[in-house]
Amino acid sequence: MSEDLRNAIGSLLKEPATVASIATLDENGAPHSVPSPFLRLDADGRLVHLELLETSATHRNLLRSIWFERPVSVTVAGSDNRVLVTTGRTYKALVSGPLFSEYYREVRARLGDVGLAAVWLIEPEQIRDETYAVRKEREEVLHPFHRHLDRLAVRHGGAP
Amino acid sequence: MTLALARKIPGTPLEDAVRRYPDVPRLIILKTDVQRRGVHYTEEAVSYLDPEKHQTTGTHIFGTRDGVIALRPESLLLRDGTSIITTPTPPEENPYVVDLHDGRPWLFDAGVALEEVDYWPAPAFYGKDSSSGVPMKNIVSARPQRLNIFPYRYCTFWNNGKGCAFCDIVTQLKKGSRELKIPARLDPVEVGAVIGEALKEEGRFSTVFLTSGSIVGGSRPFDDEIDYYIAILKEVGKNFRTPKFPSQLIGTAFEKEQLKRLYAETGLTSYTSDIEVLNEELFNRHCPGKAEWIGYREWKKRLVDAVEIFGPGRVNTGLVAGIELAGPHGFRSEDEALERTLSEAEDLARQGVSTVLIVWSPRPDTALGAYKNASLDYYIRLARGLHALRVKYRLPIEHDSYRNCGNHPDTDLSRLLPLWEE
Ligand code: SF4
Repeated sequence: MSEDLRNAIGSLLKEPATVASIATLDENGAPHSVPSPFLRLDADGRLVHLELLETSATHRNLLRSIWFERPVSVTVAGSDNRVLVTTGRTYKALVSGPLFSEYYREVRARLGDVGLAAVWLIEPEQIRDETYAVRKEREEVLHPFHRHLDRLAVRHGGAP
Repeated sequence: MTLALARKIPGTPLEDAVRRYPDVPRLIILKTDVQRRGVHYTEEAVSYLDPEKHQTTGTHIFGTRDGVIALRPESLLLRDGTSIITTPTPPEENPYVVDLHDGRPWLFDAGVALEEVDYWPAPAFYGKDSSSGVPMKNIVSARPQRLNIFPYRYCTFWNNGKGCAFCDIVTQLKKGSRELKIPARLDPVEVGAVIGEALKEEGRFSTVFLTSGSIVGGSRPFDDEIDYYIAILKEVGKNFRTPKFPSQLIGTAFEKEQLKRLYAETGLTSYTSDIEVLNEELFNRHCPGKAEWIGYREWKKRLVDAVEIFGPGRVNTGLVAGIELAGPHGFRSEDEALERTLSEAEDLARQGVSTVLIVWSPRPDTALGAYKNASLDYYIRLARGLHALRVKYRLPIEHDSYRNCGNHPDTDLSRLLPLWEE
């Protein structure tokens, strides 16, 4: 897995305008995706997802993931249109202890009277750069047959 | 390669069981087997222990399999937040081993590193003393998310020698007061004050738990026990803004009027009364005090009555699973034990009472101490069966869950009960 991309996730997550989401699988294998507003990267390179509710679909799916080794996916999108998608495994759910308490205080400082069900640590296994400009350039070089011909045609008049 | 791949060694008893029960999480199978076989902490594992950061043994009401009170980790947390309440066990009895691996504690079996574990974190109030100078942890103890109050460390069923055949509360009381200076009977006001101190730690606790030995005295039998619980819960309740607060009491099977008082006069929100074994003959044999003062059928009736007061899903009973197979009077096979136990549990579930299991850990100072507990398959099948009854009868078990207790493999499975109310 590219260290550059892992570092890029860390940098993106430091920017306030970055939007993150987490996708998990339910008991039938259906994907379930929600925002992950507190997402961050820890010192060991793991993604940290704070789950506020014990009964949320995401929390229950993350539990299924750690129990039955199902993958999870985290998308991080920056304000510069950079999009990085991580697939990984749930490594740990912290439910007590100093780190849990630290995050508990943080979410309450930001949101008021809320709780924290668990601090989920996700071990990234693969990070893909899904930034449109990057993907477009790669596709046009590597997969030329996917292009519509009008984009290559001689232009008449002022059409783009 | 990730750690998750590194620690799976095919052919170990654990991985064999995981293969046989693909619907049961490996972590819960491991927890169950660790409780079944016990643990031994190596010197390195004990040296990793930091009493400032971790909870150490000694506060519990019941004893250990090696009969020793020594500085050891109180218990373990697995990666999914599951607790394993450990009973230190002599190495010659083939327990799991907790040792260090890359500088961190891991569970080992036959030299194979199976799973990383955390020691239970010490709560902030553990370093403090109460107003009477007793260490607060000897008045209120903690699990990762629960506050434990053991207000009375004696059980009057032992007055005429009719305590339960698996119980070492009296031996533990003697050791506790001698070696750890734990008071046998707590002052309710002091308990309330310690709870207040504990609640200053944000995000740490999600329930208050209370249990003691049975107290037969009073104008009606067990009125003294009820009065004492009410006194304590009232003091505890002074720390909350709401009249009710998440809480669990494990008490004797009380009469309906006693239960009504308990509910009306305190903030208590759930009630547990342990029948220990779901078979009348074995109950009479292994729990003679309970049989003498209440009786098997009446115990069950009182559990069902409690549902009217606390509500379905807020009343349950516990089994010391494995004693039903112990000795010459036990069930002849695990299949029979499973069938008979689950059928009686179903009868209770139908009436709103959940059944939970603890894995019986034979202790040296008890009448059943010389027998072995059941097989891992038995415990897995029983846990699955009890969880399935909750699914079938739509019984939540949140008050006795991984957060609010942590000692029941079957309620660990119930973390994924359907959310019927949604
Ligand atoms: S009721 Fe039985 S298990 Fe409970 S404390 Fe008394 S003797 Fe021990």
